[in-house]
Amino acid sequence: MSAAAGLALLFGVMAVGAWLAAALDRAALALAAGRRPAAAMLVAPWRQGAIHLLRQRIRTERPDAMNGLLAPACYLLLAAAGMSVVPFAPGLVVADLDAGIVLWGACEALTVVVVFLHGWSANAPLPLIGGYRYVAIGLPAMLLSMFVLIAAALPAQSLSVSAIVESQASVWNAVRQPPGLVLFLMLGLSLTLRGPFDYADAADLAGGTSAEASGPAQAAWQVARLAMLVSVSAMTAAVFLGGYHGPWLPGPAWMLLKMIVVLAVLAAATHMFARLPPARMLTLLWTLLLPLSFLVLALVGAEVLLWS
Amino acid sequence: MAVTGASWLAASAPAPVYPAVGADGLAAVEALSLHPAVSLQASPRHASLLLVCGRIREADRPALRRLHDQLPHPRATLWWRTEPVPGFPAASCVGDDRADAVRAVWRRLATGALGSEADLLPDEPPAPWRGKGDHGQGGEGMTGGKPYGRPMAMTDEDCRDGLALDAYTARLGPFLPILPPGLRLELTIQGDAIQSARVPSPPYPQAGSDDPLRCIARLLPLLGLAGLAERFRRAAQGRAPDLGAPDLGALGRALRRSGALYAIPPGLGGFAGEDLRARLRRWWAQAEGADLRAPPGEGCLADLLPGLEWSEAMLVANSFEPEILMRLCRAGPGDGDGS
Repeated sequence: MSAAAGLALLFGVMAVGAWLAAALDRAALALAAGRRPAAAMLVAPWRQGAIHLLRQRIRTERPDAMNGLLAPACYLLLAAAGMSVVPFAPGLVVADLDAGIVLWGACEALTVVVVFLHGWSANAPLPLIGGYRYVAIGLPAMLLSMFVLIAAALPAQSLSVSAIVESQASVWNAVRQPPGLVLFLMLGLSLTLRGPFDYADAADLAGGTSAEASGPAQAAWQVARLAMLVSVSAMTAAVFLGGYHGPWLPGPAWMLLKMIVVLAVLAAATHMFARLPPARMLTLLWTLLLPLSFLVLALVGAEVLLWS
Repeated sequence: MAVTGASWLAASAPAPVYPAVGADGLAAVEALSLHPAVSLQASPRHASLLLVCGRIREADRPALRRLHDQLPHPRATLWWRTEPVPGFPAASCVGDDRADAVRAVWRRLATGALGSEADLLPDEPPAPWRGKGDHGQGGEGMTGGKPYGRPMAMTDEDCRDGLALDAYTARLGPFLPILPPGLRLELTIQGDAIQSARVPSPPYPQAGSDDPLRCIARLLPLLGLAGLAERFRRAAQGRAPDLGAPDLGALGRALRRSGALYAIPPGLGGFAGEDLRARLRRWWAQAEGADLRAPPGEGCLADLLPGLEWSEAMLVANSFEPEILMRLCRAGPGDGDGS
């Protein structure tokens, strides 16, 4: 597939996905608030976008202007780079790397840097606290994801995402290692600063790293967050839900359907579960979730050794 | 053309409002937040309308002016249940049809029919440069001191784990929505741990805001549960005599499922023999009709915060009925200049 067609596919899916994710998020919030989701929620992201674009971009006192611009741009690029290794059908992939999972892991790790820079650049206390709080949580969260992804790659005996999807032709990784899926969804919430894992842009910091962002800068950051959410949903669908495999429908349709399901689950989780204070979450991550991810890896390793 | 389209789209969105709540204004703002035409914002940078609700102390007027200038253009100020503070531009007052009035002003502002309000203060630091220290900032080396009147971070002893980080003093309030309205906190923080706290001014009195469902609703957004908080506020509205009784069973199940009780660390915010978890449980029991009262006790908010991490401190500051919080802010070593 040509580079131009690949990029068009990538950014097309990301744009439509981001809009859908924003609408689903509003629907999930409405349900959590006991309201009925309305059709107007499909238009709401555009309305919000219009408000952002008409609004003045505030310049805080002595900001790190370069990093303030780079943070949302790099966040968006990381989302795109991460999604570029995900196949939408056999051969329909922008970058069919042998070590696609490693590239995704790099994107995860750099997300921590980008979010910190966003908090740093405003030169204000609340965004900065959001930034370093995110780094503290990001380290164990990303570590966990390495174990989870290696466990998902083991049955395929390859680090290529295409090979991982192929290895799920008969049984999905979600069935083979359900805790891995749950842990990866938690990581998705952390990568996109959402709900129980939102330690960067949280309400207890009046918006955290975004507290001082206004107008187009705020819009860019929100779009980048949504793009990363779409990227996470694509990776989850490929690595745990069998990717393009499925009966009757063509491969890409299955892939998109699975992505929508993951987006809906993540939107629901965002508004359903309470966020632990960071110290408590750190304890949970280091003492429970990390060992659990290692156990998943060990069990899958034993399974592959004994039965394949 | 594109701008016209964007204006039209923006005008049809809920009005982005930053509430500056004064005396007895909290319950009204909480009721307004349930209206679909209004969207309350946590940061002034994300709002276009400054809604001043309730009487503002004389001492808080300078803060209100600074807050006004922090809203990005286009912006407008609305006054509700209070007279406009002198010095503000020609004001819009909100009557009983408050949500409709807010929406009307927002539509005019978004479409350009209403001009944006100019800055009230000159764009300059709050205090002059203090020419002391190596770099003229009044501290040592490159850190410390109060350049332009604002304290700068400087390495200090740590109260928790011995890791000496820069201590930074931040002044919060009186109109920061993550704190009870009117409350000013001066926090010295290392990383996100509170090293010391001072209460320069207490919160505003809030008559009729002690409803246990409202108290729970104020705590939940800090745990990332804005949707559930809205349900609790609506249920609290429903307890008004002219409306039907709320479905407390479903509300209780949603609260338990959310894990809010588990999220709060045990022992956090202990006051009068009751920690935060116990307070949440008591509020819930009160909402279900139990005849319970907050245990009597004397104390000081400033003594409860040191050693806590930021989000724990915000939880504690929001975990008291308004009347009890006023008592906690009145006396003790944390009481500052009272301005």
